[in-house]
Amino acid sequence: MIIVDHLTKRYGDTLAVNDLSFEVRPGVVTGFLGPNGSGKSTTMRVIMGLDAPSSGHVTINAQRYQELKAPLREVGALLDAKAVHPGRTARNHLLALAVSNRIPTSRVDEVLEFTGIASVADKKVGGYSLGMSQRLGIAGALLGDPPVLLFDEPVNGLDPEGIRWIRTFFRSLAVEGRTVFVSSHLMSEMAQSADEIVVIGRGRLITQGTVDELTASDAGSVLVRSADNAALRSVLEAAGNTVDTANDGTMTVRGASAEAIGQAALAAGVALTELTPQRASLEEVFMDLTADDVEYVSSLDATNHG
Amino acid sequence: MDSVTVASVTHAEWIKFRTVRSTIVGYVVTVVLTLGLGALITSAIRGHWQTMEPLRKLTFDPVSTSLGGTLFAQFAVGVIGIMFITSEYSSGSIRTTLAATPRRVQVVVAKLIVLVSVTAVVAEVVVFAAFLMGQRIYEGVVPTASLASGAVLRSVILGGVYLTLLATLGFGLGLLLRQQSAAISVFTSLLLIVPIIVFVLPQSWQTSVTRYEPSSLGHAMMSVTPSLDMFGAWTATLVLASYVVCVVVLSTVTLVRRDA
Repeated sequence: MIIVDHLTKRYGDTLAVNDLSFEVRPGVVTGFLGPNGSGKSTTMRVIMGLDAPSSGHVTINAQRYQELKAPLREVGALLDAKAVHPGRTARNHLLALAVSNRIPTSRVDEVLEFTGIASVADKKVGGYSLGMSQRLGIAGALLGDPPVLLFDEPVNGLDPEGIRWIRTFFRSLAVEGRTVFVSSHLMSEMAQSADEIVVIGRGRLITQGTVDELTASDAGSVLVRSADNAALRSVLEAAGNTVDTANDGTMTVRGASAEAIGQAALAAGVALTELTPQRASLEEVFMDLTADDVEYVSSLDATNHG
Repeated sequence: MDSVTVASVTHAEWIKFRTVRSTIVGYVVTVVLTLGLGALITSAIRGHWQTMEPLRKLTFDPVSTSLGGTLFAQFAVGVIGIMFITSEYSSGSIRTTLAATPRRVQVVVAKLIVLVSVTAVVAEVVVFAAFLMGQRIYEGVVPTASLASGAVLRSVILGGVYLTLLATLGFGLGLLLRQQSAAISVFTSLLLIVPIIVFVLPQSWQTSVTRYEPSSLGHAMMSVTPSLDMFGAWTATLVLASYVVCVVVLSTVTLVRRDA
């Protein structure tokens, strides 16, 4: 369990994280979503005790990071895959990490094997592709078999096979009862790998909830096609719903459930040919939620969106 | 549960220290410079001994001249110390290190234990070798010194201590500045540029300031009878050590206070 409590982090005049509070529960994969520059990495660095909060605090299983006796056995983190001395081999990198936290050195071979980089373990890390570096970073996070795991943008640089592997892997960690916290700026990725999502923009919490809750929250619109759109439309509008008619002969109805529309059509004697409740994609929800909070907007986007 | 201790972190830092090429290259350069330039300097003196001025013969020191290579090797050990910490900043692995060891003072202590013990062993071995080699070259032509003399033994031992202190100074500067190029610039300036600046000062100041320069302190440490305007060997050691302690303490405080 990770608890972020009224966290604020300032770098000079820049407010990177602004009064941010949320909880990451064990047993599920929690996605940490936000546009670039929204404060995800800063929050993760504060959780890991690397940066000191300007105010507020963060606890991991009720302890501050600095109080952890053997941190690698309690929290595993992949913050920056390329943050390894390029002249050192993967095995020696992991060996030093293991030794510092009194983790049995036999774990080094286990995690090398598990992440699929055992065959290149004695090569210098400088020659690794980003994907291999990500796997080494994950190996380092798993070294102490910790109950809490943090991954900052873990799918960057992975090939499709690697991405699928990592999704299944996150799920299995969560099933084992661990706390799994994964950041990404890719909502489509989160939709597939996370159960719960924390969305931030410009350092502030925008929303937190399950993927289902988030995608359902903008639902309530229903796609309707009928034998007599005009008649049905006037009935629905009379009942206080908004109706948009598209050129392809479909109507989007907001304010009524599919069931209520079906009943209304029956009462009006109009035959329905299609009745589909709409679900917003997580991507749409995300774009809506963060539209005002994107730090860097290209001029093209700015003109398009006014 | 076993917790992170200075001992476990020292073990980890020892693995990190010996598994990068820069460390090995740094020590090889240290050995080559100390012995190679020592051989060059002592051979040159032997060759010119007959024609040397009587006054220079009178103040001739067979110990410090045989250790002359250390004046070049000091840059190699300094860079070893600098790279030991700045490579963590340039690669970003300092975050991994500090996440694994949240009590940051432990990281500094562990790195110092590794750096000081390895450098001390290498430096002492190489200065004794350079001394013995120099006396061998001088033999028969130039007056030689013997380790049986306490002052000679002290000078040779302090030659190794000098190199060890400079490696530690480099480490402290690297930790403070977090950047290899900046740390090397400052380190080199302290040894080479400061004496030039002092040279421009009024004569009366020069004599009182010069003795505080790291290179003058080193010379005093390695001289059997340091000249009168220099510190004595042990005082020089203490002055240099206090510089090093100041830089290391200051850099450790910044490490603990600053964001990683």
